[in-house]
Amino acid sequence: MTSLFTDVAAVPESRGATAGLWARRAVITIFAVVAALGLLDVFGQGTTQTTAGTPAAVVHLTAPAAVRGGLFFQSRIEIRALRALEHPRLVLDEGWVEGMQVNSIEPAPVGEANRDGRVVLSYDRVDAGERLVVRLQFEVNPTNVGHRSYGLELDDADTRVAAIHRQITVFP
Amino acid sequence: MDLVLRTIFVFFLILLITRAVGRRELSTMEPFDLILLVVIGDLVQQGVTQSDYSLTGATMVIVTVALLTVATAWLSFRFRRVRPLLEGEPVILVADGRILERNLRRQRMTVDELGAEARLAQIGSLADVRYAVLETSGKVSFLTGSS
Repeated sequence: MTSLFTDVAAVPESRGATAGLWARRAVITIFAVVAALGLLDVFGQGTTQTTAGTPAAVVHLTAPAAVRGGLFFQSRIEIRALRALEHPRLVLDEGWVEGMQVNSIEPAPVGEANRDGRVVLSYDRVDAGERLVVRLQFEVNPTNVGHRSYGLELDDADTRVAAIHRQITVFP
Repeated sequence: MDLVLRTIFVFFLILLITRAVGRRELSTMEPFDLILLVVIGDLVQQGVTQSDYSLTGATMVIVTVALLTVATAWLSFRFRRVRPLLEGEPVILVADGRILERNLRRQRMTVDELGAEARLAQIGSLADVRYAVLETSGKVSFLTGSS
């Protein structure tokens, strides 16, 4: 055998090599944890539903709790009126539109307004027992990173009917 | 979740494609193959990450691919029966100096191509070859009569 081979063979396994092997295993374990968290929707964009109910109406908000830059996603607001809502208004927290591309809102509101920095969407009367489902389609601006308030309030004219408090996380 | 699932699907799709296409085609990179590889890479990227521009998404995809690579290598190492599925098996092309035409045909390989591989291995004539084996990597290893 030549020296190029014998020299390598003669060197006993170093502590560095053993440490390197364990470091590699540790990194693979971290990878497995990251993939598992991804499967559990920790990094987006699986949807969760939040509900708020009062004697006047029940509001369901179905939206992702976490999203990533560039992703398209839908937020769905379902209002079930238990009594007639003459002037239903959805007051969206600032996080709804901050750094989000609004692709569409269906049905389109009859009016839009501002209330202390929040967006107010106004709709026509909803009778008792009727449902109003609003679907909002967004795309995440890649520079929009962080936690945002993603709650909403359902008002009848200026009277609060129900409110949902939740957050959205935008991963870089 | 969907990003990890899409990555897993595409990983096994590519594994299936490489196993179906055959090792010879993949080991010899002609210009056409190279361009095709780039095009496939682009198509795969669109399918996996779609509109995702995020570092988080890229990390998840890379981590998942790395995990699947380690997992398939481990499965192949640990379970002998899985090995042919994941890596394929060596194929004898020349045995005892006799060219096995049937095996060459199965690998879509001509005697001329075998001769070219022999030349690359510094073998002057196929008559000198005692054994030739198409390895799982797509390369051909030779054992000459004098070896």
